[in-house]
Amino acid sequence: MAEATAKKDTPEIAEQMVTLTIDGKEVSVPKGTTVLQAATQMGIHVPTFCWHPKLKPVGACRMCYVEVEKMPKLQVSCALEAMDGMVVYTDSDTVKQGRKAIIEFILLNHPLDCPTCDKGGECDLQNLTFAHGVDDSRFDFQKYRFVDEGMTTTFDDKRIGPEIVLNRNRCILCYKCVRANKEAFGEYDLGVYERGNTAEINSAPGEEVDNPYSGNLVEICPVGALTNSDWRYKIRVWLTTTTPSVCNYSSSGTNILFFKEEHKNKIYRVTSRPNDDIDDGWLADVTRYGYQVVNSPDRLKKPLIKKEGKQVEASWKEALDVIGKRFGEIKAKLGGVCVGALVAPSLDNASLYAASRLMRTAFESNNIDFRGDYRMLPDNPESPFMILASQPFRIADIDDSDVIVSFGSDLVKEHQNEYLRIRKACNFSNTSVFSINPYAVKSADVARQELVYKPGTEEIVINGICLAAIEDDLVDRNLAVGLKSRIAPAAAAEAARLCGVEIGALRNVARALSEGKKVTFFTGEIITRSRERDLIATALFNLRKLFKMESKGQMAALARYANSKGAEKLGLLPEPKPALKSKLTSIWGHDPDCPANITDAMMAQIKKEEIKGFFIMGANPMMLYPDREFVKEGLEKLEFLVVCDLFETETTELADVVLPLASWAEYDGYYVNLEGKTQKALRAVKPMGEAKPGYAIVNSIVAALKTEVFQSDEQIHSQVKELLKLESVIPIPDEFGDVHPASDDRGGEYNVALYVIDDPHHSGYLTEKAPSLANFVSEPYIEISFEVAAKLKVEQGDSVRVESEIGKVILPAKISEHITNEVALLPRNFASTGVTSVMMRKRRVDRVKLSRVVE
Amino acid sequence: MFYSPVITNAAEAAGHKDLHLFKYIEDPQQHKIETYEAHGGYKAWKKVLKGMSADQVIEEVKKSGLRGRGGAGFPTGMKWGFVPKASTKPRYLCCNADESEPGTCKDRVLMERDPHGVIEGMAISAYAIDCHLMFIYIRGEFDHCRERMEQAMDEAYARGHLGKNINGSGYDLEMIVHTGGGAYICGEETALLNSIEGERGMSRMRPPFPAIEGLYACPTIVNNVESLASVPHIINRGGDWYASLGTEKSKGTKIFSLSGHVKRPGNYEVEMGFNLKKLIFDPEYGGGMLDDKKLKGVIPGGASTPFLTPDMIDVGLDYEALQTVGSMLGSGAIIVINEDACIVWVIKKLIHFFRHESCGKCTPCREGTGWLEKIINRIELGQGQPGDIEKIEDVCGNILGRTICPLGDAAVMPIQSAIKQWRDEWLYHIEHKKCMVKTNFEFK
Repeated sequence: MAEATAKKDTPEIAEQMVTLTIDGKEVSVPKGTTVLQAATQMGIHVPTFCWHPKLKPVGACRMCYVEVEKMPKLQVSCALEAMDGMVVYTDSDTVKQGRKAIIEFILLNHPLDCPTCDKGGECDLQNLTFAHGVDDSRFDFQKYRFVDEGMTTTFDDKRIGPEIVLNRNRCILCYKCVRANKEAFGEYDLGVYERGNTAEINSAPGEEVDNPYSGNLVEICPVGALTNSDWRYKIRVWLTTTTPSVCNYSSSGTNILFFKEEHKNKIYRVTSRPNDDIDDGWLADVTRYGYQVVNSPDRLKKPLIKKEGKQVEASWKEALDVIGKRFGEIKAKLGGVCVGALVAPSLDNASLYAASRLMRTAFESNNIDFRGDYRMLPDNPESPFMILASQPFRIADIDDSDVIVSFGSDLVKEHQNEYLRIRKACNFSNTSVFSINPYAVKSADVARQELVYKPGTEEIVINGICLAAIEDDLVDRNLAVGLKSRIAPAAAAEAARLCGVEIGALRNVARALSEGKKVTFFTGEIITRSRERDLIATALFNLRKLFKMESKGQMAALARYANSKGAEKLGLLPEPKPALKSKLTSIWGHDPDCPANITDAMMAQIKKEEIKGFFIMGANPMMLYPDREFVKEGLEKLEFLVVCDLFETETTELADVVLPLASWAEYDGYYVNLEGKTQKALRAVKPMGEAKPGYAIVNSIVAALKTEVFQSDEQIHSQVKELLKLESVIPIPDEFGDVHPASDDRGGEYNVALYVIDDPHHSGYLTEKAPSLANFVSEPYIEISFEVAAKLKVEQGDSVRVESEIGKVILPAKISEHITNEVALLPRNFASTGVTSVMMRKRRVDRVKLSRVVE
Repeated sequence: MFYSPVITNAAEAAGHKDLHLFKYIEDPQQHKIETYEAHGGYKAWKKVLKGMSADQVIEEVKKSGLRGRGGAGFPTGMKWGFVPKASTKPRYLCCNADESEPGTCKDRVLMERDPHGVIEGMAISAYAIDCHLMFIYIRGEFDHCRERMEQAMDEAYARGHLGKNINGSGYDLEMIVHTGGGAYICGEETALLNSIEGERGMSRMRPPFPAIEGLYACPTIVNNVESLASVPHIINRGGDWYASLGTEKSKGTKIFSLSGHVKRPGNYEVEMGFNLKKLIFDPEYGGGMLDDKKLKGVIPGGASTPFLTPDMIDVGLDYEALQTVGSMLGSGAIIVINEDACIVWVIKKLIHFFRHESCGKCTPCREGTGWLEKIINRIELGQGQPGDIEKIEDVCGNILGRTICPLGDAAVMPIQSAIKQWRDEWLYHIEHKKCMVKTNFEFK
């Protein structure tokens, strides 16, 4: 803590070094470093139980004793700040005796059930007992035992959450889990009860430990007190080997480690691979348990071909023959422009690049897009939002930002690691966070102020902040005059009224932005999916210029998927940026001269029978694209549809040929995270059945088409590398832009704004196949506030009819303590209910009518 | 177990004229604001508001030599001086009224009988550190104290001694009466702060010290009831007057809670340095041993301080003198034990208390107290094993000085001294499977 504070408040002190002697060697460390950190830095191992690098030290376990000259008592090094001239011994006889005593104390009531304990082999207590403990026990009494009602033996465990199992007898009360839960995750479902040597960790009364970060509690437990049903009793840790990889569900590219067994070709678990620049060693549950889709028995193992209206299993050769024949016919008869493609932004660079090349060279078509799940209006590579999305962003810069604005982003549902990062900034330094959203979000619990605006008034909020700054004279007056004529409304009070935010709140944001020394300002999915995203981006550029933010901090629209940034950089858009386009042309010697259609336009063209053949790789537009009926009509009309996926989905049902796609754990791939950083994910297991990675599938299709054959994999890699090197940041225009509030078509009785979200335990359409994640949430629901529920006279779990002008679904109500206004949230992660059927692709904000289902 | 009737102004009867804390303690109306004011109450508060700066108040208290009466004896004025002047954060004052040390019952008397004295002291101290919100954290079991303090607080608000713009001085001060949930550990200042914040009552690591980062991470001063109650008198009569009482390094007067086998148990306010033997045997004070039995030992400063044997009790009751005989002044709870008490039984009672009150945060205290209780219980039951005493000593050594807060030390110090002073009695218990003391005495 001291370290972070020193760094932030007084940079000149941060450089101040102190020199101390540890075990006879001198070392200089920045002021504020603890003795433990200094020793670790020197390669001296100091044993700990309760210390965690990302939590404030508490000095509870007392294992990290050191002896310091001139200090009469043993000191706990985890909480002892290094001082000039300190002489520290980490291995003196007194220290050894002290540690031995601690191990003895801890073992008093610890059941020595290592042979049946799942932690055996990777247990801190086991290791440290070998290293520092004694061989015999002087404790000749009955050990203390926790036995609950219904437990027959003391070895019975207690399930305290959908995944987590607690054995209190093994617990050594290091409090790491409770502290991490509260401090790092902001969750209160786990606590300490009773006191003294009968103190116990337990779930809060009447609650389950089911927060979206709960898996970390298991990982940081030093003993076998917290285990999860994902891993326990499946395999011994020493029988597994590890493979480093990155998460395929988050855009930050959380670093992970696969634990797998070679001969069984199976992954057993995922743990963190701490990377302080990206994840700080915390994993969201969706990252931790999401790997289970790889092992799912439901995976597609062989290609399927539609014969007489039924999909039947076939060999790769048969499937490729059909593809080559049918695509060849379409191309010969109507030209390659009659073929389109939709790929997933979670595929690796090589697969994306290969798909792009397939479309643009083999078919000479520009019909390719990677955005298959949100409403899109025609865009060009230099439209304001694309500029905003191309801006550089560094996750680690959140740490020392003094002002953080999260705009249109429900962090816990889309950028889970970034939320933890912001929490950390708040815990360790004096950071002001503002959360600006159309509904109250969980992540606003760290916010200095939460602004909840009326759905569909994003640009008015931003204009309002600018106006408040101008009215309070917080900004350059020349700039103020320049901006005032370009925006509407004319006064902050009017803006506040229109967007339903208190003017005081707008003023506070304005003041913070003008006073902030390092600002992090980012937008999330609510902005990305808004029809008016270009207008909102322009409003943000105005704000950036007005507050002179170019020189202090960062502003960007965060990418959502594991490789969205890679797809953007490799030109998977119908119309790549000019520089990229010319580079591609020079590599391929081709430049397809034909209209460029985004996903929405492609669907429209299919309906007009202008696109006849379609190739989908890893995407599921039937489930995710707004307006399900629209997509369905389109895909059904196609002459020939090829879909590659891990599972049979609603989209594969419509396909003429289905190809089994390998998951990211089954081949080496590179992914570009939201910072633009390329990370490698290594192959952990062999592909299931006959599944193939994306680039291999594309290569076989190219071969089947008997057109130009691609170069080798090495050449693909070097070309990808070259493309990624291209500058992708588009400069933000230096002029103020006009921002007049856009209309928001509110539809009469359809008056509840609907936001389609990811459940905090899910991401996209695959994770419901992970049993652990399904244990948390396996059914769709409609999340509403207490007020809305009261109005509808529904209670938790009652059925609610959600109707829009074009469709309806019936879902159980989930009454949320977070939401306060009249909105409804709908998770899109469950195939059982086509939630997208109520969405309208041309609307700014989806609006629905809610009613109780009378049984 | 240690409840005793209050016999208080004995010292004045004995010709001592400088009593101040207990001067009106026997007036049954003293807890009412009218009586308190008639006795000169809130004069000091008005004086401070009218013409003293915060620094002047601190200076006066420093001059008085007042030291913390909660047990540690840290100079009060110096503690106030640690509040960073430059900090823009709000400051808080917490009056520590979580009086739970076995044998101590002095703060309770002050709160029940002279609550306005406590409030006035708190107000002046709050002023000294520029605090506008002060708390009194009252032990959960002290319901009568809470009632009295709340009544007194309401009266003080009604009279304008608290609230906004007090007496036209422009100074605002609010007060909150907070009760604990019944944990000894919450008398430890950082655990007390956690408890007020709504957290689990567990001590925090220091540094940062509460004066820098305390309640809600803001500068906070935690003072004992008795310390704060002394402050108005220091302001009224001057630091020099206060410093003229007591010994060279221990100034002023102190309330001692005398309990156990004496004829006249109770709270006595005496000058610092008062002779312990006199306090126990003088007819004006303790009046000698109950039933004229022989004295076996004395715990001079609450259950957590080492024992004194009869040959050691001719000693002054002040911080330094007690240190020279190997014990501590602590909170001033003097527990007198006669020859009939089995020392193993006494220690069993004590370790049970400390084991029960250990918060469970740090390993040595949490596990060690439990282990000690088990061993001591077994010895007391006549099931002791050879080597148990050495084991106890070894475990005590592994706890002493190795815990976050002083609770661990408090638990083992009386054990260590009891073994040192009466080792033969312990050995007899183990060897003969019975008690050396003829009649096994029960405290009433």
